[in-house]
Amino acid sequence: MQTSLYLDRGTWVHRLHPAVKLFGLFIMFWSVFWVDHPLALLPVALLMVLLAHESHSWPNFYAFRWFLILMIPPTMLEWMAVYRAGVPVVNLWFIQLSRPALLFGFGRGLKLALLLSSSILFLSTTTIEEFTASLVTFRMPHRVAFAMSLAFRLVPLFMDSALTVVQAQTLRGYNFNRGNLLERMKRYVPAVIPVFMGALRRANNMAMALEARGFGLDIAPTSFIEYRLVATDIVALIALVTIGIAYFMIYYFGFATIAPG
Amino acid sequence: MNPPATLVESAVATTSDNLREEFAVELHDVSFTYQDTSAPALRHIEICLRRGEMIGILGASGAGKSTLAKCLNRLVPAFERGQFSGVVRIHGRALDGMRVSDLSHLVGMVFQDFEAQLFSTNVALEVAFAMQQIGMPREEIAARVEPALEAVGLAGFAKRDPTTLSGGEKQRMAIAAVLALRPAVIVLDEPTTDLDPEGKAEVFTLIRRLRGQGLTLIVIEHEAEELRACDRLLVLRDGQVVAEGAPPSVMTRLELLESCGVHPPDLNRVLAMLGIRAHAASVEEAETLIRGALPLRTACFGAHPSGDGTHSQAADPLISMASELDKQEAVENSAAAAELGWAKTSGVSLSYGDLAGSDVPLAEAQQLSFAYPLGPPVLEAVNFRIAAGEFVAIVGQNGSGKTTLAKHLVGLLTPTGGEVLLEGRNRTSLSPEEIARKVGYVFQNPDHQIFASTVEEEVAFGPRNFGLSDEDIDRRVAEVLRAVNLENVRTRDPFLLSKGERQRLAVASVLVLRPRLLILDEPTTGLDYREQRGMMGLINDLNRLGVAIVIITHAPWLVAEYARRVVLMRRGRILFDGPVDAFFQQDELLRESSFRPPEVTLLARRFGFHALTPEQFVSVIRARLKS
Amino acid sequence: MTVSTGEGLSSAPLRVGQYLPTGAVLGSAHELRAMWANTRMVVLCVLSAALYAAVLIPFKVLPLIPGVTEVRPGNAIPVVCSFLFGPAAAWGAAIGNMIGDFFGGVGPGDLFGFFANLVYGYIPYKLWSLLADDDQSPTNFTPATVAKYVVCCLAASVLCADLVGWGDNMLSLRPFWILGNIIIFNNMVAALVLGPLILAAVYPRVRAGHLLYRDVMPELRERPKPVRVAAAVMLLVGETGAWLSGNLLSTGHWRPQLLPATLLASPYDKAVAIVVTPFIILAAVGTVLL
Repeated sequence: MQTSLYLDRGTWVHRLHPAVKLFGLFIMFWSVFWVDHPLALLPVALLMVLLAHESHSWPNFYAFRWFLILMIPPTMLEWMAVYRAGVPVVNLWFIQLSRPALLFGFGRGLKLALLLSSSILFLSTTTIEEFTASLVTFRMPHRVAFAMSLAFRLVPLFMDSALTVVQAQTLRGYNFNRGNLLERMKRYVPAVIPVFMGALRRANNMAMALEARGFGLDIAPTSFIEYRLVATDIVALIALVTIGIAYFMIYYFGFATIAPG
Repeated sequence: MNPPATLVESAVATTSDNLREEFAVELHDVSFTYQDTSAPALRHIEICLRRGEMIGILGASGAGKSTLAKCLNRLVPAFERGQFSGVVRIHGRALDGMRVSDLSHLVGMVFQDFEAQLFSTNVALEVAFAMQQIGMPREEIAARVEPALEAVGLAGFAKRDPTTLSGGEKQRMAIAAVLALRPAVIVLDEPTTDLDPEGKAEVFTLIRRLRGQGLTLIVIEHEAEELRACDRLLVLRDGQVVAEGAPPSVMTRLELLESCGVHPPDLNRVLAMLGIRAHAASVEEAETLIRGALPLRTACFGAHPSGDGTHSQAADPLISMASELDKQEAVENSAAAAELGWAKTSGVSLSYGDLAGSDVPLAEAQQLSFAYPLGPPVLEAVNFRIAAGEFVAIVGQNGSGKTTLAKHLVGLLTPTGGEVLLEGRNRTSLSPEEIARKVGYVFQNPDHQIFASTVEEEVAFGPRNFGLSDEDIDRRVAEVLRAVNLENVRTRDPFLLSKGERQRLAVASVLVLRPRLLILDEPTTGLDYREQRGMMGLINDLNRLGVAIVIITHAPWLVAEYARRVVLMRRGRILFDGPVDAFFQQDELLRESSFRPPEVTLLARRFGFHALTPEQFVSVIRARLKS
Repeated sequence: MTVSTGEGLSSAPLRVGQYLPTGAVLGSAHELRAMWANTRMVVLCVLSAALYAAVLIPFKVLPLIPGVTEVRPGNAIPVVCSFLFGPAAAWGAAIGNMIGDFFGGVGPGDLFGFFANLVYGYIPYKLWSLLADDDQSPTNFTPATVAKYVVCCLAASVLCADLVGWGDNMLSLRPFWILGNIIIFNNMVAALVLGPLILAAVYPRVRAGHLLYRDVMPELRERPKPVRVAAAVMLLVGETGAWLSGNLLSTGHWRPQLLPATLLASPYDKAVAIVVTPFIILAAVGTVLL
């Protein structure tokens, strides 16, 4: 079973310092935060397309295509329900349809889709150990980072065992899909318990194996992998900072606001 | 507490040659009782291990083997709760007051559960893990990772994701992680119990090589055969050392080994049955001993050129005789098992109604093909049928399609080509209940289905789902629990049962639906010898009652002793389908599938005949003795 | 010489190095930090996280509102684990949720999701240990214990929902009222329907295996009871206030006269940030002192 979205393509995007990639993710979030107009989001969208192309991440975007598209309409509705500006063209129950409301709603929907895209991009180009290493760079405690990466490793294992449990109980005549939503939820108990207990059987073994391999010393562990900042990283950092500043300027000077009319 | 610097220094110091203390490991009067238990897990253990010595520890589950191992790196008593007394020294240094992690560089430990000791997202990081934890400088770690991987034959694996490795590779990686620390002692706690024969062979080859390099090794096992190369063996029972000595002196004490739940080597059993009081460390040695001790008629027993024993079954009259004996033997075996208290297997009765069956096969796969979406084919045009009352073993390497084939028979997978018939009817036309009455499937890990709070409820789960009446359910549950010998624990919590009992419970909860065909996926994995015998005795009894059996297994001795027909699979195809005797003569196929025939078969071949079990071998030899 | 052992495994005298979390936010909830020195607790945290994610991910395929929320029976896991593993479950919930997001796409709201799940795993056992007094087992179902159980789950769910709703609204991703209510509904359904069933099966077994957090970390000490009661009140007042004001503001039903008109214009992002934040802080302080 697939553990992550990582695609081992070895492009320059992949080779960026993990902390730079994490910073890049932050800059994307930062940039779209300041603007609401769909047009103002266009540069970020274009950058995303460029990076997806450069990093050969299209398969993941393809896999998420419906998710990306389908998240826009509900987000539009959510915001249009509370957005009161402009002359309503249509008045639908609690939603006032006006040109600014449409623009605003679409902008926020697009924003979410872009945020998801940037995270798909990040996950397509970053391994788990790079991710945790970058968190440690940003002062995440070692043990929390360790717990995160180990949990990542175990998830597919547990999903596999959940699948087997479902099969085993099905053969004993158990129907997981009977009844209404609540009933169905309850029916997952015979699947959850064996997975839960199977995991717990391992708990002591894992703790012992960890201790046997030096986990538990009160010293800071060293790091075997070293990530160095190279010229590409510096260029990328400068570009990212520039983008971040540019978007703040757009907000500060009041460009790309949605005119209430 | 040691500051980190000394840890690293001492790790290096233990590898230097000027070592003062003579003993690598000393245990004096060590006892331990786990919290909440009354019986001690270890009682007054005295062991001294010289440097460079390799010692094997044998015993059944619960004999105290693992507890003993844990004493060596302070897991007992620093991690496990309980009452501890005695002294443990590693290289002359007493461990009192030390923490487990302080010892990680001194005592390397490899555990049975390989999934529970992998923590990283790639192989190099896994090997580096402990070195990072003890604060070793990056350059030093980098210098040690690759050599450690080379030492276990995993050079070039550094960037691999550990989840993509085979079981054997995972265990070798765990050994590499331990080696990289250059510990004084390496302890391997049943490192191959969960592995297939290939992985097992890989790990033991590696252990022998490490021994050649002068490492002090402690290997824990429940099969004696693998430990012949040890300098010394130790047999544990109820936390006490009941036998100690060089392999020849321990391995010839068959009754003791069996009573301790240890699988004695077949060669030793053969020699003992023939009245030869000697130890054979190899098939060759056994042959020499037998030829030297017994006056055999040479006409029939010219040494058979080993390796090309591809003579056909018809050409050898002895084979048919041996097969006949086989059936008898199986019955006697299970009776013997009952006597030894392995399991109460005699007197099993199940009210099944008519099992005699017609000519229609119970299950049949016709041109069965299967592939996961976008994946390579897992099964390719497989034809396979099982008639009433058969006992079939499906063998083959991991990934050969054994489990996939079996899962098709119970409807867990839908074929991409061909079809599956159950008692002549297309499987897709049957309801889940109808399928469950025809075929039962016992998963490899019993913990994948146990969830109820009592044994009884667990067994009743299936019939309840199918809406049987309470009376009927009670009757069936009682009957089945008697059959699998779990009556006395019927109100206990199934999670607190032993692995062997949980495996029997899994069988019971499938059996309660009264299928005419029972499929068991590796029913003996992770069980000790005694439990394996109990399990197989039960399966054999069910078969005698008329339930057709299909087992997926890796254990050659089990195939040889219990199955009557073998199906060998490789890469989604059936390469061989025929009687057991014929199977073990397919040298080429066996070799390609890493399936090693039992040693007694190889021995028989040297005498020019075919045998699968020590009993068969001995009866043929006896028949040919010059009177 | 016979010695009893195993109390603290190799638990080091807690010297806080840079490998242990020191976050100022959590400065007072000491066990959230102390647990990282205990290997068993680290493992239990990892297992809770992996279980949570493993049960969450398969259900990501059933989104209620695309990109907003899904049917999440997995939300019962943090509550169940909380009663069993205490602080380890709190971290496990936070990490597990993050892993779940990794499969579905992370967003800036996930920073809030991390803390929201942390409190979702933290509050149940904390509040329970205060409410349940003598009987610490959550599996004796009397009317009184059931009521207490509901209160614990509700307190945890509401603050969890508040944090995500408030955070996402501040980041102008979603109005408060969407996630602020859906999460409560989702968490409560899972915790009330599945929680007791799983707990009944698992709690006695975990206790028998000595893996309940009080057995793994017997050295844990609670704050004086009056402080804890006051903290619980702060928590309840804060989270209820945050929930009410968040809902009313984000739907435009409440326009406090104190605020300048510019801050009250739709889509009310700024109003939510200004009014809800004090309530969140109150609830957070209450949580930390619990």
